[in-house]
Amino acid sequence: MTSTSPLLRTEALTRRFDGELAVEDLELDVHSGEIHAVVGLNGAGKTTLMRLLLGMLKPDAGRAIVLGFDAAAVASEVWSEVGHLIESPFAYPELTVEENIAAAALLHKLDPPLIPSLVAQALEEFELSRWSGKRARTLSLGNRQRLGLVSALVHHPSILILDEPANSLDPAGVVFIRDLLKTRARRGAAILVSSHHLDELARIADRISVLHAGRHIGSLDPTGVDLEKRFFDLVYEEDIASRGTVT
Amino acid sequence: MTQAIRVEWQKLRRSTVTLTTTALLLVLLPLMAFGLYSVAMEGGTGLLAHKASAFLDGEGWASYLGAVDQIAAVAVFIGAGIVVAWTFGREHADRTFSSLFALPVARGSIAGAKLVVLTGWVTVLSLLLVVASLGLGFVAGVGDLKEGVLLSGLVKLFAVALSGGALSLTMGFVASIGRGYLPAVGVIIVIVAAAQISVLFGTGGWFPYAVPGLIAVSGSEGAPVLSAFQVALVPITAAVGVWLTVHWWQQAEVV
Repeated sequence: MTSTSPLLRTEALTRRFDGELAVEDLELDVHSGEIHAVVGLNGAGKTTLMRLLLGMLKPDAGRAIVLGFDAAAVASEVWSEVGHLIESPFAYPELTVEENIAAAALLHKLDPPLIPSLVAQALEEFELSRWSGKRARTLSLGNRQRLGLVSALVHHPSILILDEPANSLDPAGVVFIRDLLKTRARRGAAILVSSHHLDELARIADRISVLHAGRHIGSLDPTGVDLEKRFFDLVYEEDIASRGTVT
Repeated sequence: MTQAIRVEWQKLRRSTVTLTTTALLLVLLPLMAFGLYSVAMEGGTGLLAHKASAFLDGEGWASYLGAVDQIAAVAVFIGAGIVVAWTFGREHADRTFSSLFALPVARGSIAGAKLVVLTGWVTVLSLLLVVASLGLGFVAGVGDLKEGVLLSGLVKLFAVALSGGALSLTMGFVASIGRGYLPAVGVIIVIVAAAQISVLFGTGGWFPYAVPGLIAVSGSEGAPVLSAFQVALVPITAAVGVWLTVHWWQQAEVV
C-alpha cells in the first residue's frame, strides 16, 4: 500500500434489508490525516455504511475495504488499527469507568502491564478522572458518550469510524470532540464521521459527502457558505430526479 | 482468548444477576431441601407431610441429600440458565453487541470466553452447593454419619448440579438468536415443563433436560435406570449448544 492509498474505501457497496436498499453502489474513501464526514437525513444509509466498513454487516454486492482488506473477511488482528463508536457506547453498566476503559484496552490487545497507565492517561485526557471509580450505570448520557469515545480511542487507532460522536455531549464536550478529532487527524488518523449538525461538520471536516436514500448524491465544500441550503438543494434535486419529474 | 476471558470474568462477577442467583441457590436450595426432609421425618398426616414422604426415600443423610438432589435437578438449570441467558442476551439488551465487532479479539473468542467463565462458575457453584448442603446437614444434625452413604450422596449431588449447569449453557444459543435474555427465560420455563411431562410419559431418559432429575432419583424404588448413552446426552447436548453459540457469534450481524 502506498502512502496515498486510502485507509478506508468502498467499491460499489450495496446492502438491502428485506429487499429495501439501505446503501447502493456507494463509492467513498478516507485517507490518512483526513476527516471525511457523511451527512444525510435519517435513513440515508450513514450507519449502514459504517456497519459495513466495520464488518458488522456483510454487503450484498461490492466491497468495504479497511487497510486494503475486505472488511467482511478480514483477519481479526487488522482491527487493532481501528476504533469505532456506532450508536451505543462501550459502557458496561456494572463496571466502573476505569474498568470499562481497561476492558476496552484488553479487547484491543494492549499489553496488560501498560494498561493502568494508559487508562490513567485516558481518564485525564477525556476529563473523566472524577468519575473513574463510578459504575457506568450512574453516569450522565454525556459522560457515557465520553466513556464510549475513550474506549474507541484508548489504543490510538489509525482509523476512526464515529457515528454521531457528539450525541448527548454538552457544548464543552462538542468543542472537546472537535479538538480531539482534529488532533488525531493531524497525527495521521483517517476519520470517518457522521453527524446531523452541518455547522459542526464544517468546522472539522476536510470533505463532506451527502448520502440520500442509500446513495452518494454529492459533496459539500466545508469552507463554503450556507451549507444547510446546499445540502437541502442536493437532496431536493435527487428526489426530483428519482421521481423522474420536474416541477 | 485470554483477554476476553479476563473481561468476561469481570463482567460476570460484577453482575447482580450472578450474585443473586449464586446466593439463592447456595442458601435457599439446601434450606428448602431441609424443610422438606424435616416435614417428611415428622411423619404427620397433613398433605405436605404425605407429599414429602412420597417425594423422599430412606432416612437421615440419604433422605436429606435426596431432597437436595431433586430440587437441584430443576433449580440449578433454571438459575444457571438465567445467568447464561443474561450473559449472552445482555449484549443486545444493553446495546453493547456492536462494540464487540471490529476488535482484534474475534467474536467467536468472546463467545468462547463467556462459555469458559460460565463453565467455571457452574462447576464452582456445584461444588459450593455440595459444601453448603453438607454444612447445613451437619449444623441441623441430620442423622448419624455413614461415610459410604454420605460420600456417594455428595458425588451424586455434584453430578446432578453439574448436569443442570452443563445443560444451562445451551441457553446461550437461545439468548443469542433471540437477541436478548427474555426469549431464553421463556424457553427455560418450557423446557422445565417438557422435562416433567417426558418423565411422566416414561421417555425422560431420551430428553436430555430430564436426565438430571432422573439421576437425582436413581437408586430409588421404581426409578427408571438410565443407560450410559442417556447420561451422555447431557454433555452431548451441552457441546452442541456451545458449538451453535460460538458459530452464531462468528456469523452474526448487527441488525
